[in-house]
Amino acid sequence: MQTREGIVAVDEKMVEAIARRAGLERALEAFHDDVVAAAISAAKVTERIRQSSGTPPEPFSEPWPPMVVVRR
Amino acid sequence: MSELHWMTANAAAAAIANGEMSPVELVKALLDRIERLDPRLNAFVRVDAEAALKEARATEAEAAQGRLRGALHGVPVGIKDIIDVSGLPTTCHSKIFENNVAARNDAECVARLRAAGAIILGKLSTHEFAIGGPSFDLPWPPARNPWNRDHHPGGSSSGSGCGLAAGFFPMALGTDTGGSVRNPASACAIVGTKPTYGLVSRRGVFPLAFTLDHVGPMTRTVADNALMLGAMVGHDPLDPASVLLPQSYDYMKTLEDGVRGLRIGFVRHFHEADMPADPEVVAGLDRVALTLRSEGASVVDVRLPALQEFAAVNRVLLQSEAWSIHSEWLRNRPGDYGCLARRRLMSGAFMDAGDYVLAGRQRSDMIGEVEAALREADILLCASSMDPACRIDEPEAIERTYMRQARTPFNVTGHPALAMPTGLSSDGLPLSVQFVGRYFDEAHLFRVARAWERAACTDALHPSFAG
Repeated sequence: MQTREGIVAVDEKMVEAIARRAGLERALEAFHDDVVAAAISAAKVTERIRQSSGTPPEPFSEPWPPMVVVRR
Repeated sequence: MSELHWMTANAAAAAIANGEMSPVELVKALLDRIERLDPRLNAFVRVDAEAALKEARATEAEAAQGRLRGALHGVPVGIKDIIDVSGLPTTCHSKIFENNVAARNDAECVARLRAAGAIILGKLSTHEFAIGGPSFDLPWPPARNPWNRDHHPGGSSSGSGCGLAAGFFPMALGTDTGGSVRNPASACAIVGTKPTYGLVSRRGVFPLAFTLDHVGPMTRTVADNALMLGAMVGHDPLDPASVLLPQSYDYMKTLEDGVRGLRIGFVRHFHEADMPADPEVVAGLDRVALTLRSEGASVVDVRLPALQEFAAVNRVLLQSEAWSIHSEWLRNRPGDYGCLARRRLMSGAFMDAGDYVLAGRQRSDMIGEVEAALREADILLCASSMDPACRIDEPEAIERTYMRQARTPFNVTGHPALAMPTGLSSDGLPLSVQFVGRYFDEAHLFRVARAWERAACTDALHPSFAG
């Protein structure tokens, strides 16, 4: 998948392969357009965060919020 | 007051406590209004009239004996239908839960409202699982905007915003993961607060995204919002995000203190450069800045990361976490979701673990930037929605305008944020502003919001919809 100024081209075969791996066979069969739309939407935002990191991310920096362990 | 349906929560609580009004009288008046008007607005998924009247009689008897449960004794409230109310099914406005069994317990936020004396009127419409949109392919019709029924009321807490603006109740509970309390507040000319992450328990609320979910008060006035939030806050050891803070939550104390001496940071680039706003929205924001300055605050421009960057981080976190909740149903029952929720929830299947961690790291940087801005300013002022609410029957316009907002940054960072009206557009639709505070400093947020409300009389805004 590639993005260029908000325009996303998706490889439908790759989308279908990822969807199948995620177990979305029924959705692929009944709602194919929705699956492709979901993939395009995901590609747009993931490309955006990959681009906005600028420099390679510090591999040891922890994401927020930190894990919280509670005793139930 | 002759019009009980516009009575504020504060006024109702005071009148009940003083014996000047019965909760039964108030609840009956509201139920009558709901019965007459809600078939055209769809704020409710389920009205629980019998239980509400029973509680009203009980609180009436207690008030007559001088026994008040708390600050909200006898005051009605509506509950967004992703929040558990004991004895009622939680449907999340979805076919997935259309025949859900009744909840065994109240959500913690509902339990706290009840303990303060509030009366539950029923369960309110929402966008499906708090993520869809105004949809016509669900078991219940979408809520509409009382300012113009052809327009949407914002969402996802759509029934909460609709019902408040229609005068069905003085308080409602909403939830906010990407702006879902503040969007209907902006679209319906009411007040909605997303408190600091961890301030209000989310136990018993159907999750959308664990690290972004907040429960928030929705009301018609700032004072009611402060009163309602005060009744809900507090540590809950069974919500992993809940925070224990040794401080008072009486937000009413400083509400009327004004803004003299406060520093307001105006985030102009959100609505001027990142997502250029409708000119009437811009004029409203400028009016707020000018008014606060004339009341004694200093207003300076501040910069934060671009809205698009916040939005991307929000969506990666939200859709990854939501996928972990919905994946089994999406695999086995995709046809039981409406189109909008199905598309949005399936996006999580196309994001990988690295994206999720990367979004978390960027979130950390964004927190640092907002914190830095809040060292220079006591409160941030910015847009909420960039446009008035569009028509409910135009999916393309909804898709376009729903993303044109400045609410998601503060779900990403967890800072408290409040949306409220600035006035009406030339078409008679609500325009809005957003204030943002430091962590756990909702008191200043309410103080600034109240100063604007007092100056502009925004609490007097009511739609003419059927009186």
